[in-house]
Amino acid sequence: MTQTATTDAGTPTELEPLLSARQVTMRFGGLVAVDKVDFDVYPGEIMGLIGPNGAGKTTFFNCLTGLYKPTSGRVVFNGALLPPKPGRVVRAGVARTFQNIRLFANMTALENVMVARYCRTSSGPLTSIVRGPKYRREERETEDRATELLDFVGLPEVAGNLARNLSYGDQRRLEIARALATDPKLLLLDEPTAGMNPQETRQAEELIFKIKDRGLAVITIEHDMRFIFNLCDRVLCLVQGRPLVLGTPDQVQSDPRVIEAYIGTGAQEADGQVGRDA
Amino acid sequence: MSLPGIPVAIRRRYGPVARIVTIACGVIIAASAYLPWAYGSDALDNVTYVGGPSFIQFIALGMGLVLPALVVCSIRWPAGFGRTRVGWIRGARALATGLLIIFVVIAGAISVQLGGTININYGAWVGLAAALIGFVATRFLVQEGAPTVNRLKTPGWLSILAIAVVMLVMLFVAYYALDQSNPGTFVTFIVYTGVGVAVLLRTGALGWLTAATGAHRRVMLLAAFLVAFLFPFTQGGSDANMSIAAQVLVFAATAMGLNIVVGLAGLLDLGYIAFLGSGAFVAAMLSGTAMATFDVHPPFIVTMLLSGCVAATLGLVIGSPTLRVSGDYLAIITLAFGEIFRLSMNNLDGSDGPDLTHGSRGISDTGDLNLFGFDFGATHTIAGIEIGRFANYYFILLIWLAIVILIFSRLNNSRIGRGWVAIREDEKAAEAMGVNVFGLKLLAFASGAFLAGVAGSIKAHVDISVTPDSYVFLQSSFLLAAVVLGGMGTVLGVLIGATLLQLMPEKLRFVNEYRLMFFGLLLVVMMRFRPEGIIASERRQLEFHDEDEELAERLDDNLGPSTGAVAVEGASR
Amino acid sequence: MIVLQAMVDGLSLGALYALIAVGYTVVYGIIQLINFAHGEVFMVGAFGSMTVWLLVPGQQLGLWMLPIMLIGGMVASVAIALLMERVAYRPLRNSPRLAPLITAIGVSVFLQEFVRLFYGRIPGFPDAKANVTFPTIEGVTGTAIKLGGLDIDRPTIFTLAALIVCTVFLYLFVNKSRIGRAMQATSQDPDTARLMGINVDRIIMIAFAVGAVLAAIAGTAQGMMNTNINFKMGFIAGLKAFSAAVLGGIGNIWGALVGGLVIGVLESLATQVMPHGSAWKDVWAFVVLILILVFRPQGLLGARVVDRA
Repeated sequence: MTQTATTDAGTPTELEPLLSARQVTMRFGGLVAVDKVDFDVYPGEIMGLIGPNGAGKTTFFNCLTGLYKPTSGRVVFNGALLPPKPGRVVRAGVARTFQNIRLFANMTALENVMVARYCRTSSGPLTSIVRGPKYRREERETEDRATELLDFVGLPEVAGNLARNLSYGDQRRLEIARALATDPKLLLLDEPTAGMNPQETRQAEELIFKIKDRGLAVITIEHDMRFIFNLCDRVLCLVQGRPLVLGTPDQVQSDPRVIEAYIGTGAQEADGQVGRDA
Repeated sequence: MSLPGIPVAIRRRYGPVARIVTIACGVIIAASAYLPWAYGSDALDNVTYVGGPSFIQFIALGMGLVLPALVVCSIRWPAGFGRTRVGWIRGARALATGLLIIFVVIAGAISVQLGGTININYGAWVGLAAALIGFVATRFLVQEGAPTVNRLKTPGWLSILAIAVVMLVMLFVAYYALDQSNPGTFVTFIVYTGVGVAVLLRTGALGWLTAATGAHRRVMLLAAFLVAFLFPFTQGGSDANMSIAAQVLVFAATAMGLNIVVGLAGLLDLGYIAFLGSGAFVAAMLSGTAMATFDVHPPFIVTMLLSGCVAATLGLVIGSPTLRVSGDYLAIITLAFGEIFRLSMNNLDGSDGPDLTHGSRGISDTGDLNLFGFDFGATHTIAGIEIGRFANYYFILLIWLAIVILIFSRLNNSRIGRGWVAIREDEKAAEAMGVNVFGLKLLAFASGAFLAGVAGSIKAHVDISVTPDSYVFLQSSFLLAAVVLGGMGTVLGVLIGATLLQLMPEKLRFVNEYRLMFFGLLLVVMMRFRPEGIIASERRQLEFHDEDEELAERLDDNLGPSTGAVAVEGASR
Repeated sequence: MIVLQAMVDGLSLGALYALIAVGYTVVYGIIQLINFAHGEVFMVGAFGSMTVWLLVPGQQLGLWMLPIMLIGGMVASVAIALLMERVAYRPLRNSPRLAPLITAIGVSVFLQEFVRLFYGRIPGFPDAKANVTFPTIEGVTGTAIKLGGLDIDRPTIFTLAALIVCTVFLYLFVNKSRIGRAMQATSQDPDTARLMGINVDRIIMIAFAVGAVLAAIAGTAQGMMNTNINFKMGFIAGLKAFSAAVLGGIGNIWGALVGGLVIGVLESLATQVMPHGSAWKDVWAFVVLILILVFRPQGLLGARVVDRA
């Protein structure tokens, strides 16, 4: 059923996909958390990933970012196979945020962003000790870039504050700034508006559009349907690890199977069959 | 120092009385300096005279007078000067607590040294009573908010002057403390120093000093180095003191290397002494003396680098499990490596393995260094002052320590340092943000080991002999204690920790027997009450006091204006 | 034959390690704390039974002394273990993992030194700064029993018997008693256990006490095996027992027992079969420890708690 959905989803077919997942499967013992997901993301596209709790959305994210090594299937990014190592995935150009915010709590906002420049900078221990002009230039660039990104996400005035002292909404933005600092081509957002009030959600929407304008592709997991349907070019609905529907927001919104999946899952969840969605 | 608080209403009511009582107590303490404290002249620095205070008594006199001064200031300028808030009462409370501790220590010292409390003369009792009453009275005073003296703008000349004064005081403290052969005087003096620092801290003066000197970091560092450099000239060729000082430097340089592993990268290493040991053994084997294993005579620079590299290789081996293991398990692995090192050095004696180390006897003669024609074994005379063997080594060790500190603080305050903090904070997130977690951990192990290895190569010559039982687990835990007690991740803290841990047993021969027991106790007590160490790196403080929101807010203020990344931590403290 | 003899000797050593290892594993299973000072509990247990023997007049060596000595050792080690938990560990329960580990080192050094310095000061007690000769109780010490060409040391029989008895008691305690079930519940989820009305503090104390009881038996056995005890005996034995606990899967009591036996046999084989075995045996032990920690931290039988250390 995925195949049919892919064809009539209005995608710019002349482009090579930025990321394509083929038959990605993740098993934990007997539990199949992600089941043969096929999935393409094109440059400059915002992709939504929806599904009831425990559908395997975050697990799928973890497969894409190297936290998990898929049991079978493969993920190709930018023409090369994605290695199952988080560090190398970031280098390749995929960055992410976390569902439960994982900032470096006792570092300042600026430092948080600067850390993420790690993989795009190269000063080693010796240059750090000697501190030649190259080192100083790189440090300055790191700081400038971090400051610029804090501006970009709308947090210029909290640069010197500890991450733990920021408001919830600001922490989410800081996470995005930190992810952007790795110079990604693809940004994965895991529930970027969870716990936000409507106004903050609207700001987040604007921010994601701005990110798209920078030429990045974005995949976002979200439970807020209005948010998803406002924002996304295409939406994939996962149910019990299996892709259910892939299409434009309108198509997904009107698909009876999606509605059924959302209403029908309550009972299964109570049975405890699902829940590997950490 | 937060004892159960007395209700504010009661404090308000008795506040005025308490002030008067505090002032009186301060004056009485000052006056007690003119009274005899002991019946025998062997206690402290002879405190038996009426009207002729000894040096120890003079300090008590001074501190006694500061107490009323603080209270008077708090009445005269309750809100501080302008917008600058001064912690008068905070300081007074700290001082009163300190004086109480001082008099307890003094009474203890007198009874131990002369045999029984019977030997305490009335002067000390008066002082103790006054300190006790003063302590209680200050509890009734209402404290100000946190002092803001550190925000004061300071003219450049004043900062430089402050640096000069601080340095002279430090030189004097080091000179005087090392000069004491009487353990009672030594302990009392150390307690005095501690109380002095505490009062400066609570009034806010220390914050001001930090800010003022921080603006002239280079001058400050240069001055500190100069003072340390001048220190041997105050010793008049006393090799005994310089030997202690040299050992302190070896210990401090090694602890600073461990500080990279534990303080920056957050990896617990319980076998660190093996790196110092391997460096020392390499240097001893290559020393070219009759006892050395190999008959080669490389220049010392080569030996030094080789020692460092051997240690660094070991560091890589020991660090490699970090790919799979972390936390407690890693600590146990490092401990096991340390034990393997010790056992191997004991076994490489020719009968159970190749003869490299002569087994438990070790390499008993490493000879003296000779660099560019400068013989480290001989006594040189500079400006009429004799510089003995240990003083020679002191200089080279001092240079090495300076290099280690430079490496430490530059690594800390760089891309790599940021990576380490991130790993400590959240390893998974750091990895997901592209930080090379495994590489950075290995780097911490290898660089820490390299520094220890080089220190070991110098130590081999300072000690003349190298035996396996100088490099045992207990030594590792001493090093770890220096780092942890001093303050993980800080330069100053670890220097203080290392100095205290090395100096105490040397000066307190009478407790030598109980030294390890106190050491164990100290670790337990410290972890219970101040796990972040004497000088706490602010981030570490937060890591240990996770729920302390007030602290987090305050650090926001402190970290806020800094434009550089991790500049606040470590080096600048 | 040498190998078989080594196996027999190894079993007795292994039983000793197993008894100590239970202490590590029980405590870890409940609060994920490596009680680094557990080796010292074992040492105190040995000195405890020594003390009782010294206190009974007439230097009795009859077998009837053995239970009395064991009880003495248990009292001493349980008291120390509980004190240590209450004073040193409990206040640190929510601090970063570094803090309890350093505290444990402190406790360990303190206890060693305390015994070294003060044991001999009690009138009539031997100086503990060197080895202290342990009483040779009749029946469980003395000439080895010959069995088909194998020498079976008498302390071996005692240690193995003690291990078997302890295993049975542990099984009954953990699975059949109310407290044992509460312990299991607490190790699964302390917060829920607390909500279910289990006094978690008490359970933790019981865990420390159970470990201490077994350690005291091990201490006494060690005394009879080596014919002497000293203040340092806890360090190496503790480390090896810890390896055993990890090998068996830390948090898993039965794993600790199996792990102990395996480590003991391995050590004994290494000593007797490898060249220069006795000089290098501890090195091999530590190598094994490192290999286990690196390659199989979940142990042979699988840890109940995943290592998130």
